[in-house]
Amino acid sequence: MKAVLTGNQAIARGFYEAGGLVAASYPGSPTVQIMETLKEYEEIYAEFSPSEKVALEVAIGGSLYGARAMASMKHVGVNIAMDPLMTFTQSPVNGGFVLVTGDDPGMASSQNEQDNRIIGKFANMGIFYPGSSQEAKDFMKVALELSEKFKTPMMVDITSRVCHSRGIVELEDRQEVKPKGFTRDVEKYTMLPPHNIKAQYFMKERIEALEEYAYDAPFNILEEVEGSDTLIVTSGLMYYNLKELNLPVSIYKLGMVYPISTRRIKELSEKYKNIIVLEEMMPFIENELKLKGIDCKGKEYFSFTGELFTEDIEEGLYKAGVIKERKYADIKPVETVARPPMFCAGCPHRPVFDILKKLNVTVIGDIGCYSMAVLPAWKATHAMYSMGATVGITKGMNKAMRKNGDKKPIVSVIGDGTFFHSGLPGFINLVHQVDEEDNMTFIILDNKTTAMTGGQHTASSGRFNEKDDMDVDIKTLLKSMGIENIQEVDQFEYKKTREIIRKATREKGISVIITTRPCALKYKIKEPHFYVEPEICIGCRTCVKINCPPIKMKKYKGIDELKSSIDPDECVGCSVCSQVCPVGAIKRSQ
Amino acid sequence: MNKNIMLAGVGGQGLVLATKIISEAAFKAGLDVKTNDVIGLSQRGGMVWGSVRMGEKVYSPNIPPKEGDILIGLEPLEAYRWSHLLKDGGHIILNTKEAYPTPVLLEQEEYPYEDVKSLKDRYNVIKIDAREEARKAGNIKAANTVLIGILAKLLDIPNEVWEETIKENVPPKAIDANIQAFYRGYNYDVGYNYA
Repeated sequence: MKAVLTGNQAIARGFYEAGGLVAASYPGSPTVQIMETLKEYEEIYAEFSPSEKVALEVAIGGSLYGARAMASMKHVGVNIAMDPLMTFTQSPVNGGFVLVTGDDPGMASSQNEQDNRIIGKFANMGIFYPGSSQEAKDFMKVALELSEKFKTPMMVDITSRVCHSRGIVELEDRQEVKPKGFTRDVEKYTMLPPHNIKAQYFMKERIEALEEYAYDAPFNILEEVEGSDTLIVTSGLMYYNLKELNLPVSIYKLGMVYPISTRRIKELSEKYKNIIVLEEMMPFIENELKLKGIDCKGKEYFSFTGELFTEDIEEGLYKAGVIKERKYADIKPVETVARPPMFCAGCPHRPVFDILKKLNVTVIGDIGCYSMAVLPAWKATHAMYSMGATVGITKGMNKAMRKNGDKKPIVSVIGDGTFFHSGLPGFINLVHQVDEEDNMTFIILDNKTTAMTGGQHTASSGRFNEKDDMDVDIKTLLKSMGIENIQEVDQFEYKKTREIIRKATREKGISVIITTRPCALKYKIKEPHFYVEPEICIGCRTCVKINCPPIKMKKYKGIDELKSSIDPDECVGCSVCSQVCPVGAIKRSQ
Repeated sequence: MNKNIMLAGVGGQGLVLATKIISEAAFKAGLDVKTNDVIGLSQRGGMVWGSVRMGEKVYSPNIPPKEGDILIGLEPLEAYRWSHLLKDGGHIILNTKEAYPTPVLLEQEEYPYEDVKSLKDRYNVIKIDAREEARKAGNIKAANTVLIGILAKLLDIPNEVWEETIKENVPPKAIDANIQAFYRGYNYDVGYNYA
């Protein structure tokens, strides 16, 4: 049987068919759908954990017991999970273990472009690099098998295009693999000296054995063209983009990009005059070949950043002299009005950032939909790096300001998902070495979901959504840490919210404000829409500046000046525009 | 039959589902198929685009420049933005309802109405207010199904396959409206003979 699957669905299917038993993840684009698909298989225990570190640990536990296990996460998620990963990898794997990481060349939905093949090598793992849905499934299965055969954790590194791309996949039945059980063996499973000293030799031998296996492994494919003096070494989607050009050159396609067989590549290099490496992002394969003494070129011809499309490959191979004439040289993208993302109609973040923008305070942001407050329409977040980082950064900047005699306030914003993911230790640290000159305001945007990735649960969403089983009260948690000044507010009461935030920023000390409105998109909120009375509207554009999709200036019949308008089909009736209107021109329908 | 179909729209318009339906119909019709769509940040009112490539053998899910046969524009500006991928004389199925991007809402830039109009000089443009047609079919959420109906006329996939695929992909309550929406598109008077 065959089916059309995305790369993400195919990863999940591969784990299922291979008898996988325990899987955990933290939602992050481009890999979210892997876990959503795994949750549909009854045979598998599958969870979204509060962070990637916890997810990896859950998978490690499954593997230690001898079950086939996996963790999936976006590329930067692996940073969070690095600590357990780097030490677990020293143990001989019991149940097959795969870490699936979603890289994001071009950064369509990420804060950086890190190439996780580097991490795979750093952690002494074999790395598979699928380029289609069929490969995503096949490589998952073979990665689990090799993981057990070579006692090594394996990485399946899949790029965002391949995650979201669909293709036809051959489906097979699930093969049940009974867990072997956990055998107590401190030498294998406790990483203290001298166990970890021995482990270094074990890891070295393990990767060498895997390299030997790679020599003629079926997932590394050689396509030779008679008479070609050029060999292109590539992997993943780049192989398929290259094939579009239909060139008379030989191709060595690596299914497993690490380790690469030295013996094989040396043999090939003797046959070919030019060896060109085609890969997105870092020169990983290129550097591997160079370390093996192979004379090859890659990043000389292809960009080190962004995605590489067929036309980019054509351009690179033209520079390399492989192509004499270009087909796509003169085609330029259309330049037109940009369309940056924006907060949805009815988004509960809108009033908060409108207030912060008008208060003109320094805001340290975090990762979530509210990251979009950095966009030109708002410019209401001024520094932003990674999950949960706002809390520590805010404290550090506050301390520097106070030491410098700077009395200005500083505001931090963080969502509920991020709060539980990695904000908590930062909050615990707030009550350490408090100074009477401190002035920090923390706004916790509790919208009851991990919204940006499509509305997964958080540890507090059970409070609102009865389908979720966790109901941790953020306020109680903070109180138990010793934080006293905590207020909850419905931010759709605009004036009240403004007063609370204003007061908090003007008072010294640590203030926490929890905003309580749920995500309008996830919970499909739709109230009667609002409309503008053009005769009352003074055209001041205060409502337009809150940047809500349905609000736009419009020419009304019989009125010379432009007046505001609201598209009734798009308005979900949150009322924020009517509350910022200085003349009461915006009214609710019905 | 080798066809490259491009889709362009705004986050929240249902582009991912439309891509899925088209690819599954192609698969059921016995073709090789690959698709591509971008999700992530873009789902919040940003631009989204996708592609479906079908034929005997498909390598990359990405459509190289000027190799697109059909562009489905769920929004006019987005259709214009991606038109460089379309071959000269290709078809654009254009939903006429504008979604205004932030620079237009904030009056920093004009909506490119003239550029959108000029598409007809180079391509066969089929204009339709898909939401209005869907409303007539009984569910405004079936707007993309109207566009798929028009697409079906340009492709060689039997209507029974389309019907079956639509049924599998929409909520049970919305099946009738979607089938109606499909035929409203399929039988839409495009203003010229394009078959």
